[in-house]
Order: sequence, then C-alpha cells, then structure tokens
Amino acid sequence: MKTTRFQQRDLVWGILVLLLAVLPLIPGVIGNSFRAHVLIMVLLYASMAQSWNIVSGYAGQTSFGHSVFFGIGAYGAGMAVVTYGLTPWPGFLVGALLAAVVAVLISWPCFRLSGHYFAIATFAIVEIFNRLFMVWDWVGGALGLDYPILTDGWKNFVWSQTKVGFYYGALALFILIFGIVRWIETHRLGYYLRAVREGQETAESLGVNSTAVKLAAMAFSAFLAALCGGFFVQYNYRVDPPMVMSLEMSMKFVLITILGGLGNFWGPLLGAMILIPLQEYTRAYLTVLGSGVDLIIFGLIIVLMMIKQPGGIMGIVTDFGARRRRAGARPDTGV
Amino acid sequence: MKTRKLLAVVGLCVFGLGLFAGSATAADKVLKIGVVFPLTGPVATAGQRCVAAVETAAEVINNAHPEFKVPLAAQEGILGGTKIQLVVADHQGKPDVGKSEAERLFNQEGVWAMIGCYNSAVTKPASAVAERMKRIFLSGCSSSAALTERNYQYFFRCAPTDKTESHEFVEYIQWLNQNQKAGIKTIGLIYENTEFGKHAADEGKAAAKAAGFEVLADVAFNPGATNLNSEVQTLKAKNPDAVFGACLGGDYTLWVRTMKQMNWLPKVTLNYCTGYQDPKIAQQLGPDGDFFMGGTGYSPEIGAKYMPDVAAVEKIYTAKVGVPFDSDSIQEAVALLVLAQAIEKAGSLDVEKVAAILRSETFDSPLSLGGKVAFGPGGQNMKATSIVTQLHGGKYMPVFPLSYAEQAATVPMTPWDKR
Repeated sequence: MKTTRFQQRDLVWGILVLLLAVLPLIPGVIGNSFRAHVLIMVLLYASMAQSWNIVSGYAGQTSFGHSVFFGIGAYGAGMAVVTYGLTPWPGFLVGALLAAVVAVLISWPCFRLSGHYFAIATFAIVEIFNRLFMVWDWVGGALGLDYPILTDGWKNFVWSQTKVGFYYGALALFILIFGIVRWIETHRLGYYLRAVREGQETAESLGVNSTAVKLAAMAFSAFLAALCGGFFVQYNYRVDPPMVMSLEMSMKFVLITILGGLGNFWGPLLGAMILIPLQEYTRAYLTVLGSGVDLIIFGLIIVLMMIKQPGGIMGIVTDFGARRRRAGARPDTGV
Repeated sequence: MKTRKLLAVVGLCVFGLGLFAGSATAADKVLKIGVVFPLTGPVATAGQRCVAAVETAAEVINNAHPEFKVPLAAQEGILGGTKIQLVVADHQGKPDVGKSEAERLFNQEGVWAMIGCYNSAVTKPASAVAERMKRIFLSGCSSSAALTERNYQYFFRCAPTDKTESHEFVEYIQWLNQNQKAGIKTIGLIYENTEFGKHAADEGKAAAKAAGFEVLADVAFNPGATNLNSEVQTLKAKNPDAVFGACLGGDYTLWVRTMKQMNWLPKVTLNYCTGYQDPKIAQQLGPDGDFFMGGTGYSPEIGAKYMPDVAAVEKIYTAKVGVPFDSDSIQEAVALLVLAQAIEKAGSLDVEKVAAILRSETFDSPLSLGGKVAFGPGGQNMKATSIVTQLHGGKYMPVFPLSYAEQAATVPMTPWDKR
C-alpha cells in the first residue's frame, strides 16, 4: 500500500517537473516577460518555503529565523562576485555550508527551549543578524553589495536579455529541494522528524535522539534556504540586510507554507502558487486603484484562511477528498 | 453538482487569463515613460509627491501652455504631437521590487525610458536593469554619489549628490568660523542606517576630516525609529559643535523633538535631503524647527526670487498634492522635462541618439536652481545647485553661498529655553 502511494505521488511530481521543464520551449511563454518573473518567483518561494517546512512542518519546531540563513546564502554569492570578483558558484557553496554551521550553532542552545520559547528566540536572532550586518563593513554594511555589469550566462549566473536561464536555475533549485524533502519523507529521518513533532518525550522513549534529529533538520533546512538566498541575490543584482535578513522575509517562509499546508509535501508549492502571483499581479496592476491594495487583499486571504481552514489549501483538498469518499461510500453501506 | 464544477473551471480559467493578460496596446502617437516610486511604505508621501511632479511635467509637455516660460510648454506633445503617457509603479521602498518593476515596465508595458526611484538603494538595481537593456533611466533626486560613479551610459541624475552637499556644508562651516566667529571645531553625524544615510554620513565624515574638523560622534539609527533617545543622548554626551543629519520624513521630526526633550542643541545642524526640506514637516514642527539648516534646491521663497517661472507650473502640482514643490519632487519634474527636450532635439526615439544628446548638450531648465542642466561623466548634472538655508518661522531663508544669501544665519542656534 505504501509503495503504491509513493509511486502515485512521484508520478505526479515527475509529470509536473517535466511540464515545467518544457514550458520555455513553448514560444512566448517565458522569454523576458513579467509572467516569467512571476513563475520564477513561484518556484523560488516554493523552494524557500519547502526548506522551512523541513524544520517547522515535519519536525514541528517553528522558526522565524530562516531569513538569517537565506541572507547568509545571499551574502555568500554576493561577496564572491562583488568583493572577490569571482563567479557566484563558490559563494553558493560556502554560503550554504556556513548557513548550516550557523544554524547548528544557533539551534543547539535554542533547542533547549520548547514550544513558543524556541519561536521567540528565533525572532531575536533575525534582529541580531540584521543589526550585525548593517554595521559590518566587510559585508558592505548598510550600503549593501551591488553587482557590476556582468556577461550573461551560466558562468556568472546572470541574464539580462531573457529569463530562461534564471527560470531553469529556479527550476533546478525547486527540483533539488523538493526532491530532498521527498527523500526525507520516505527515509527514516522523516519518520523521526514526525515522531519528534507529535511527541518529543514519546519519541525519545522509543530511542530517537531528538536533539540530533532536530539539529540535522535545521542544518538541512538552513543549507537549502541559503541556496535560495544565493539565487535571490543573483536575480536582483544587489543585497543589503533589510532585503534578506528581515522579519518580513522570515514571514514569507512561514505564510506561504501555512497557506499551502504545514508539514505537507505539496503545501509550499500551493501556497506559493496562490500568494506570489497575487502579490506580484496586484502590486503591478492594482497600483492605479490606490496605494497598498495588494497588501489589503493579501491580508484578507490570510485572515480568511486562518478562520476557515487552518490546515491551509491542502486542508481544503483533504476535506474535499474525504467528503467525496464519504459520499461515494454511502450507497455501498446502504445508508 | 455539474454546474458547480463547470463554474469552478470557468472561474479558474478567468483567473488564469487575468493573471496572464498582457498590457493594453499603446495608442498611436503615445510615448510611454515608466515612473517608479515608493507609493507605499515609510516614505510613501515623498514617493506620491514625486509621481505628482512627473505628472505635472507630463501635463506641461502634452498640452499647449503658451503662458508657461518652460521649454516645450507652448506646443502640444513632442515630435510633432506625440503625447507622454506615464505608467506608474510602486516599489514599496524595496530594491528587489524596484528591479522587478523596472523589468516589467520595460518588457511588459513597453515603456521607452524610466524615471525614479527616490530611494538610492532602489535606484541602483532598477537603473542597472535599464543599463543592461541599453535603455534610458533618469533619476530626479536619488542623492547617493555612488549612483553616478558607476560610469553607466544610460543613467542620468538631476539633483546634487550628498558628496556635493557635504563639501558645501563644510565650506559653509569654515565661512562661519571666519566671518561669524562660530568657533566650530568638532562635528557629529546622525543618520538613518540605509544606502542614503550611510553614504551621506561617509561623505560628510570624509569632507569634515579633510577640512581639519574632528569627528566626535557617528550615530546610526534604523529608519522609521519610534525612539531616538539613546542616539540623541550619545550626541549630547559628545557635544559636537555641529551636527550633520541624514534623517528623512518622520525621523527628522523625531530627532528635532528628542533634542528639545533633552534640552540640547549643537551650535549648528545641517541636514541632507528631504526631512528638513519637507514644507509639511517644517509646518508641523512650527517654532521648534527654527534655526535648523540644510541643503535646499527649491522652496517657494527661493523660487519667487530665483526661479520665477516655477510658480505657474507649481499650481498644477499643488492642485494634486496640496503642498508646493519641495527640493526633491521638483527634480523629478525636471527629469521628464529634460528627457522630453532631448527627444525633441534628437528628432526621433533612437535611444542612442537621445542618450548622446543627454550626455553632450546643455538644457534650459527653469525648474532648476541654476536654470540649466548638463550631464557630465557618469550622468551627474554638473549644473546642479544646492544652497544652504535656515528655517525662520517656517520659511527657508538662504544663507550660503553668499550670492544667494539673504541674511546672516542665527549661529549658534537659539537654545530651547530662550525661544
């Protein structure tokens, strides 16, 4: 039974990836359009939210500090290019590894705190790193890092005439992160994570080393969030602390996952598919109606979702499926 | 049930079509110009005023106003009747949003050139988009000197930079020491910790040190602060003779009020950019704002004396936002007027031709303090002029350079308890 479910889900996943991969081959779909930008943002934010989902969804440790790891990744690539005149590739790796190390160092004492206290501690970490980077001249301080004009292509990982390169970069990130989470889901680590989420003491009584499991989840999660940060800085040609290491950025990790469905494989993708186009299109096309219309709509959706279905979009889908199954089962039971 | 499913499918299709809908096709004889400013966020008011200023310039260009003594005002449109159509976007004060909006305006909306973005930190990536696409980008008032140190070919800035203002501030203090025996030997800095504030402070520090002043305090704060007690306390403890401020909007008000609360003032304060220059803030501060100084490119008083042709145009602007031009917003109007002149001189919409004209020619600009605009290396307006003013009863009184000075400044500033 388990094997069948695994295969069905992977089949859907495979078809989705295939469709996304051939999308740029359809003339006029990607190019250099705003639509391409929105698709890239959906893939990026879905990947970011999925990286957060590992530690907060599967392991149940709510982190509001993921913008720190995202920011470290962004600075890794940014410094490689701007400070050292290299390609961003070594910066991606160094930034991601550094983020994982920082995540473990931060989490070690924080995991002694439980429930809301851990979440509050991660809030504070964002502020600490934001202030630190604002005054740290080596990383550009408040001035940030601005990219010079670079030659387009994979070597520099920048494109100015078309977004196809960025699209495939975002898709690669998406496949990597969702693939790793899929692997975690079916691997022993996934079961341990969910066991810790459902009851840490019970899990420990069964031999699960909860601290090691949570630290591993945090390291994985931070590494992947940092890769997303590296992509973000390449895409925007600039990084400064408020852009990446902010509570606002941290909230994006959280809101997208909660809207889509916390602790669910498809949740981050569904959340990003709703929130990102909404954010981008309302900002772009409803500005004429007045300032902040997009933010009003964004806020209303979150409030309505929290009232009606705290399980997010996946909660709605699951409820719908359950209702259909019940409706289908009625004639058989003779009710 | 089937009907509901059908409705759901139709609804999804309509939603999808809405998302993927392209922009409206441009009418003939219309030239689209992208206008990107912060319409939401902490400096939304300044952004909305900048948009109103560009709209004012567009109205002057598009309609025949023979009564205005402004280039292109007498005719309708440019290039024999082409009207300027503005496409407005909000970057929310965020560099990543500014960059994506710049791309959208060029690629999706088909704008021919862009004007923006007020925040220097946003102007940088947004103008980088234009440069990569070989499209013209004009900035009215973004003041970071770094913007015109990139040697871009398609970027032009109308306002003076914070580097220019820093040198002017230092020169003025030296003049005060010589002529008013001000006895200023030490400098303090207070600034918002952003691209604008940090850059202005660095330039101020460098200029002060080069002139032999001792920099005693270097105080940064987060923009949008709700409390500046510890920052002002630091300044008070160091007690510099003069303070350079880079505080925008509400932060400027808070800084002034906190100094009053702590009953401390240096001999001289000089502020960069909009906080001091905002007539609304000067009005809100009332007598508390008196004797503060700063760089100013325009005020109704300065306009009445040195820029007489502004008043008629200003009526259009004031009808939109309820206040007169300020030093920043007027530069955005200048940006569009200069761009339109360059297109008219080029006689075509060839980007290379227009950019070459922008780089090489001098433009009449009755809305600029110097009356002319001429872009030098990196796209900086070499004719950009800023004068030092001091607030007296809500009016900006020019005090330096001497060619503009109407009265000697009150130095040292009158202490709070003697006002």
